[in-house]
Amino acid sequence: MKRMSITSILLMAFGVMLLLPSKAQTPTDALMMETGQICLAAIYTHDTWDEYWEGTLKRNNGNIGTLTRQTVMPMVALGVIDRVNVIAALPWVKTQASGGQMTGVQGLQDWGFWIKGTAVDQEIGSGKLTLHAVAGVSGPASNYLPDYAPFNLGFGCLEGSLRGVLQYQTGSGIFVRGQGAFHLRGNSTIERDYYYTTQGFYTDEVDMPDAISYGAVAGIWLLNNSLKVEAMFDGLKSLGGFDIRRQDAGFPSNKMIFTRVGGGLQYYFPFVKGLGVVASGGYVLTGRNVGQSLALSGGITYQFGIW
Amino acid sequence: MKKLYLSIFASALALFIFQSCEKDLPQRLDYEAYEFATLDEDGGTWNPVLLNSPGQIGIPAPEATTSPAYQAELAAVKAASGQITGDQEAAVRYWSSNALIRWNEIARELAAKYNLTPAPNADGTYPAPNAMNPGQYPLFPFAHPPYTCRMLAYWSGAQYDALMAAWYYKYQFNRPAPYAADASITTHLPENGLPSYPSEGATIAAVSQVILSAMFPLEKDFLAAKATEHKNSLIWAGMNVQSDIVAGDSLGRAVAAVFINRAKTDGMANAQTPRPISDSLRAAAQTRWGWHWENLETPQRPVGITPFFGRVRPWCIPNVEAVRPVPPPAPGSAEFQVAVAELQEIADNLTTDQRKIANFWADGLGTYTPPGHWNRFAADLIVKYKENPLRSARTFAYMNMAIMDAGISCWDAKYYYHYPRPAQVIPGFKTILGIPNFPSYTSGHSTFSAAAATVLGHIFPAEKARADAWAEEAALSRIYAGIHYRFDSEVGTTQGRAVGNYAVEVAKVDGGE
Repeated sequence: MKRMSITSILLMAFGVMLLLPSKAQTPTDALMMETGQICLAAIYTHDTWDEYWEGTLKRNNGNIGTLTRQTVMPMVALGVIDRVNVIAALPWVKTQASGGQMTGVQGLQDWGFWIKGTAVDQEIGSGKLTLHAVAGVSGPASNYLPDYAPFNLGFGCLEGSLRGVLQYQTGSGIFVRGQGAFHLRGNSTIERDYYYTTQGFYTDEVDMPDAISYGAVAGIWLLNNSLKVEAMFDGLKSLGGFDIRRQDAGFPSNKMIFTRVGGGLQYYFPFVKGLGVVASGGYVLTGRNVGQSLALSGGITYQFGIW
Repeated sequence: MKKLYLSIFASALALFIFQSCEKDLPQRLDYEAYEFATLDEDGGTWNPVLLNSPGQIGIPAPEATTSPAYQAELAAVKAASGQITGDQEAAVRYWSSNALIRWNEIARELAAKYNLTPAPNADGTYPAPNAMNPGQYPLFPFAHPPYTCRMLAYWSGAQYDALMAAWYYKYQFNRPAPYAADASITTHLPENGLPSYPSEGATIAAVSQVILSAMFPLEKDFLAAKATEHKNSLIWAGMNVQSDIVAGDSLGRAVAAVFINRAKTDGMANAQTPRPISDSLRAAAQTRWGWHWENLETPQRPVGITPFFGRVRPWCIPNVEAVRPVPPPAPGSAEFQVAVAELQEIADNLTTDQRKIANFWADGLGTYTPPGHWNRFAADLIVKYKENPLRSARTFAYMNMAIMDAGISCWDAKYYYHYPRPAQVIPGFKTILGIPNFPSYTSGHSTFSAAAATVLGHIFPAEKARADAWAEEAALSRIYAGIHYRFDSEVGTTQGRAVGNYAVEVAKVDGGE
C-alpha cells in the first residue's frame, strides 16, 4: 500500500538551474569568465516548506510536517574562450520530513553541464547590453527513485535546456536582466510497471512534462565592483502533467507551476584575489503541485587562471 | 560568432531529436486476437458458483436461420462488417477475441482511480465515503484492497456463471455464427467455431456493466458507453447478429442480478464499523493479548480500514476459524526481537534490489491493489494459454474468490490479533512506503498473493513455480518496505495457501478441470 495515507506532495527539485542562487558564472546570469579562467564554487542550500499545493488547493500535511531539503552543490565554470564558457555541477541532496513515518533520502542528484556563449556584447552609451545563450543537459547521477514524493532527490530524467539571458548594465553598475528557458525532458523510470495519473499506464516509464522557466533580476554593483546586490523574481511552468488528486501522493509528472521572489548578494574579498562569497534567498509566492518553499543559500567561489 | 550560432543550432537539433525519441507510453495491455485453445463444448454442464444450474435462467429460443427476421439481421451484419470504418476497426481490435481481458483491465483501472483515502477535515476529523451519496467528497467507493478484491470476485464469479449459462444455450440451440451462416460475411476477429446464440461477448459486457456500475456508481455512464461499444463491435466484427446480442445481454443482466443480490447481504455494508465498535475491538485485543494496533497518521485515523471485513461471507472457505493463524509472538519476546532486528538491519542497509521489490509490489494508494496486480498476471496467462471466455472466467473466478477469501481471512486475523505495526513499537523506525491503515498480522499482500498463486498454479501447472515465486517476492516486499515483520509475511503466505486450496478443491469438482 504505497504511501497509504501519507499524502501528498510535491517536489522542489527543479534541477540544478533553478536551485542556483543568482551569482556569478551560472547558467542564468550574464557573467562570463575570460579565457583560461576557472571558477570553483560550493553552495549550500537549505530549503523548507510546510505547506504545499495539492493541485490548486493549498494545504499542510501532518504526515509530512515540515519538509527539509538540503543541497550541497559543487560547481565549476571555465572560460574556454572569452565568449564561450562551460559550466558543470553535481549537487548532493538530502531530504527529510519532520512528521510521518517515511524515511528521507540522500545522495547525488543530477549532473548538469552547460555551454554558455556571448551572442551580443554591445556598448550603449556608458552602459552595456549583453545577450547570452546557454545550452544545457542534466541527468540523474545516482539511482535515486523519482517516484518518492516529496522526498525524491530529483525527477530522474534527462533534461535538455536552451536559455537566453538579456542584460543591460549602466556605467554606474546598475543592471537589469531577464532570462527565459525551455526545458525538454525525457522519460523518467520508476520501479513499478503500472501507475495511474488521469488514466492507467502499463509501463515503468513516465513521460515527463517539458517546462519553461523565466526570471527577472535588478541589482547594482557597489564598493568598487566588489559587492553585488540584487532582487529577483522567477518562475517555472510545466507544459503538461497532471494535478495531484485529493490526498494522493505527488508524482514526477505532476503539473508544477510556481512563482518566487528572492534576492542575492555576492562579495569579492579585496585582500584575497579571486575569492568570493555568495548568499541568496527565495520564497515561493504562488504554486501548483509544489511546496511553498523558503530556500536560503550560502557559498564560496574561487576564481583563478589556469592558462 | 558563427560558431556560436552553429552550436546553438546543433543543441536545438539535439533537443529535437531527443524529443522525437520519446514514444507513446502504453495505456493498456496490448494483445493480439487469438484462436481459442479449446471450446469447452460441455461448459453448459459445469457447476456454477451461485446459479442452481447453468440453465436456471431461461432465454427465448432463437429464430430459425431460415426466418426472414434472421436473414435481415444477417444482412445487417454483412453490411456493417463489410463497410467497417477505421474507428470501428479500432474498437474491434480493442475488445478483441476475449473481452474479459479488457473488462478486467477496466475494473482494475477503476480500482486505481478510486483507491484514495479520505483527506482530514480542518478540525482533524475524517469524513467517510457514503454509498448513498457517492459523488460527495470523499467519493464512493474508497477502493482499498478489501473493496477491490470483493469487486473482482463478484465481477468474475458472475462472468463465470453467466458464461456457463451462455454455453448451455449455445450448445442447446446451436445457432451458427454469422460467418458460418453466410460464408461471404467478412470477419475481423478469428472465427472461433462457437454457436453464436446467445452472444458470449454481450453476456460479458452486460455482466461487467451491471457489476461494475454497482461497485463504482459514479462510472455508470462511462460503463454504459463501454458496454454499448463492445456490443456494437461484435456486429462490426461479423461475430454476432443482433438477436445473439440481445439474448446474451439479457442473460448477463439476469445472472449479474443474482450476484448483486448476494453482495447486498454479504456483510460488506457493516465492514467499515463505527468508532465505538472499532474501539471495542482494540480494547478486546488489549485484554486478550496485552497489545493493540494504533493508526500512526497525523491526525490519527480513528478507525482502520474495514474492521469487520473478516465477517463478510466467503466463497470457498467454510469459515474464518478454519484458516485462522496461530497468535503472533508477543512484542518483546525473543522471536519478536529477532524480527525487529531484521527490519532494522534491512532499513539501515537497504539494497537497490530490495527497494525495487518493495516498490514493484507496493500496490498502494492510487493503484489497483495486490488483488488487481494478480488479475493482471492472470490476464497475461489467459492470453498466453489462449483460453476461451468461459475458461478465462473460470480462471478469474477461482482466483478472485480465493483472493477475496484470503482478504476475509487475513482481515479476521488483523482485527482479532490487532497486532501493532513495526513503526508503532520500534522507536524512530521509518519506512519507505506508507503504512496501511490496519493492523499488522498477517500481511495482506502475502495472504492475497499466496491464495492467488495457489489457484493459478493449479490452473496453469507449468506456471506454478513462477506464480509461487511471485507470491514469495510479494511477501518479502513488505519486509523490505518496513511495513511488516517476517512472521506477518510468512504466516500470511501459509494462510493464503490454505485459503487458496479450498478454492482449488471446489474447482476440482466443478466439471471444468
